Amino acid sequence: MNTLVFMIPLSLLFLGGAVAVFFWAVDHDQFEDMESPGLLPLDDAPDREPRRE
Amino acid sequence: MTIAGDSCWHCGEPLQAGAVIRARVAGQSRNLCCHGCRAAAEWIEQLGLADYYRLRSQPGEKPADPAAAAGIDLAPWGRPENARYVVRDLGDGHREALLLISGIRCSACVWLLERALGSLPGVVSVRVNAVSQRARIVWRDTDLQLPQLLLMISRAGYRALPLDAQGLDDVRRHESRAALKRLLVAGFGMMQAMMYATALYLGGIDSLDASTRELLRWLGLLVATPVVFYAARPFFAGALRSLRAGRLGMDVPIATAIAAVYAASLFETLRGGGEVYFDSVSMFVFFLLTGRYLEMRARHRACDLTDALARLAPTFADRCLDAGGIERVGIRELHVGDRVQVSEGGIVPADGVLLTQSCRVDEALLSGESAPVAKQRGDRLIAGSVLEGGPVQLRVERLGADTALAGIAALVMRAQAERPKLERAGERATSRFVARVLSLTAITLIGWYIVDPSRAFAAAVAVLVVSCPCAFALAVPAAITRALAALAQRGVLVVRPDALQALADCTHAVFDKTGTLTQATPTLGEVETFGGVSQTEALHIAASLARPSRHPVARAIAAAYPDRKDVELHDVMSHSGLGMSGLLGNRSLRLGRCDFAQPAGQTLPDCEDAVVLADERGPIAAFRLHERLRPDARAAIDALRAQGVAAIIASGDHQTRVADIAAQLRITDWHARLLPADKLALLADLRARGARVLAVGDGVNDAPVLAGADVAIAMAEGPELTQASSDIVLTSGRLGAIAPARALVQQTLAVVRQNQRWALYYNLAAVPLAALGLVPPWLAAIGMSLSSLGVVLNALRIGRNASQTTTTHPAAVSASVSQGAGAL
Repeated sequence: MNTLVFMIPLSLLFLGGAVAVFFWAVDHDQFEDMESPGLLPLDDAPDREPRRE
Repeated sequence: MTIAGDSCWHCGEPLQAGAVIRARVAGQSRNLCCHGCRAAAEWIEQLGLADYYRLRSQPGEKPADPAAAAGIDLAPWGRPENARYVVRDLGDGHREALLLISGIRCSACVWLLERALGSLPGVVSVRVNAVSQRARIVWRDTDLQLPQLLLMISRAGYRALPLDAQGLDDVRRHESRAALKRLLVAGFGMMQAMMYATALYLGGIDSLDASTRELLRWLGLLVATPVVFYAARPFFAGALRSLRAGRLGMDVPIATAIAAVYAASLFETLRGGGEVYFDSVSMFVFFLLTGRYLEMRARHRACDLTDALARLAPTFADRCLDAGGIERVGIRELHVGDRVQVSEGGIVPADGVLLTQSCRVDEALLSGESAPVAKQRGDRLIAGSVLEGGPVQLRVERLGADTALAGIAALVMRAQAERPKLERAGERATSRFVARVLSLTAITLIGWYIVDPSRAFAAAVAVLVVSCPCAFALAVPAAITRALAALAQRGVLVVRPDALQALADCTHAVFDKTGTLTQATPTLGEVETFGGVSQTEALHIAASLARPSRHPVARAIAAAYPDRKDVELHDVMSHSGLGMSGLLGNRSLRLGRCDFAQPAGQTLPDCEDAVVLADERGPIAAFRLHERLRPDARAAIDALRAQGVAAIIASGDHQTRVADIAAQLRITDWHARLLPADKLALLADLRARGARVLAVGDGVNDAPVLAGADVAIAMAEGPELTQASSDIVLTSGRLGAIAPARALVQQTLAVVRQNQRWALYYNLAAVPLAALGLVPPWLAAIGMSLSSLGVVLNALRIGRNASQTTTTHPAAVSASVSQGAGAL
């Protein structure tokens, strides 16, 4: 019973964290394009110029 | 995909012997088909992005002629009057634009575009989405302007068009983000609730102590509450909306079930005893949201293309200058009182008064009346109507958001909001079904209350949940949206969804020849002149006369004299199926079929297959054109024949040329020298004999023919034409797409029938069991969710197999490239 009292809040904390991370990801376009990022590792040459500031 | 040595290295089109251009790409000499491809390949090489050729899985889009792409159309975008509407100011000197990019074929294109644009100084971020063919670019306005970005894209061999900055995209992005978040909350909530529920169920056997059970119930409440109040909100909103509208939508029983189960469980928790169903309600919401999410994705994909086309429609107008000549301006640069020229098949850019003698316009978008309306000088033309015949000039009377937006909104409505009959029928069935379910629930509740009140609630909830009409309600739209998306991916854009049924049923396919079976632009061959006129002079006059027409032959003649300093002509008229006429000074000129162009009483020997330029004194010149069969025409006809569709050619062209094409395609039933009226008569005759007719044309010259068929397919050659009078538009310009599209539509209709049968059988089996109290609510939730998930997954099967067949025909793909480029 004591373990439950400790573990359940902990699991809820993790859950909350996971939801927050996922919301952040959705809001930052991480699910917009599921295809092209897969190609990036195939490019041998490193970025010639940094594109983003 | 490897591209064979006898095809163009960049676009994959077959090479023409003797016309091969060589260029060095990635250290090797490569064969290219035209200067446009060479320019694109060299440019890509120069940027150090030749890896594109290694990464790509589809050949590139054939770029436009470099001379044409040199920025004629791009300059207006630099002017603030135009840029204002497509560029969003993010503050801080940063600007954002959303571009529609045609020619994105695989992920390597995305890679190439992101690199090429990213290498421009001042570009802050680039996001290219291959699925929706859009690029979102952010840049600093001190270093860069929009035309430079567009130029970079066109030099890499793509076409880019800026989209309205305040468009639907934001709405859609918001919708899909919200749906994803809801789905996740419901998913997490479901997992947690099930964990606690399992402990409770097992605890029943293992004798859990009362305080722990109490704790687990409260925890269940804790995780189920956000699921009901956040994730399930669309169902409550939908139910409210449909009740307000006086209908029983499919959301009504869903919302009732969710609310009832949650309220009962909440009551039991507060009371501290009895059964709670937090796991059932979470799972119920999660599965429903999954179905909704899949449906939304399919819908967005299908809409991405249609609304882009619609929003592109009349972005530019041709303004007549006082000094003579024409200037291409953005539609927002027009002023009241301007004189505007509209070409044949073009969309009227603003409300105005007709200055030319007469014309016919199709106002179907605005009035719903599909027959073209005749207009005389002085009549009003309405923005958004489509011109048939022409060119005409009009004086702008009303401008501004009111008129233009009305036209655009109508286009979007026509493309999207029109629900197929099939779907409307499904909706009515759903409504009736919901009413029955609700009354059945009430009967169950009352019945059990008399027999055994303690089980009444559980049984009623089970009926409500198990019989959820989602499977019914989703059966048709899931299949149709999936089919529309699958077709759009293959370059087949369905403008009128009712056409699906007609396409599946068609028995005869009538093809126009020029521009449909043959390549859209023939090339000018020999020029024969009479009476001492020089070839250049004859060509100059003919090109000036042909310039306003969109007929492929006219365009070929106009293209042969690219210098735009045309001779001054008056009263230029297009005569449907015959040719063009106009006044040069007081000479009355005619260009077209030889019997049309020549003055009465004069005959020119051996001119049957030529285009003749003549004035009232006699012929001036004869032009002979060379036509090339589309590379996939024969395969396309054979595929249709294999499906049992008879192919017929109906052409206005000369006998020998039609016979030649028909022989190459092994078509025995062909008709030459037909005027539009003859073509209509041919269609009417076929239909009278019980045939269901599919007409394929280029959408302008055969607009009446397309309107007379059961289902019409137009080859897209320009953003304005696509809206003209067809049910389906081939945006890829590939004839080969027709037969697979027909197969796919037949598969869709089969899936719809399957789905409806499945939903019916499922309900017939499950509802009686639930009413008898044999189905616990959690099992009911699983059954109902699985039934709707089954319907959606069944719909997702549509187009699965067909996608493999299209990628195995590189020739067909490359053919699409050749014509698709012209469209945008």
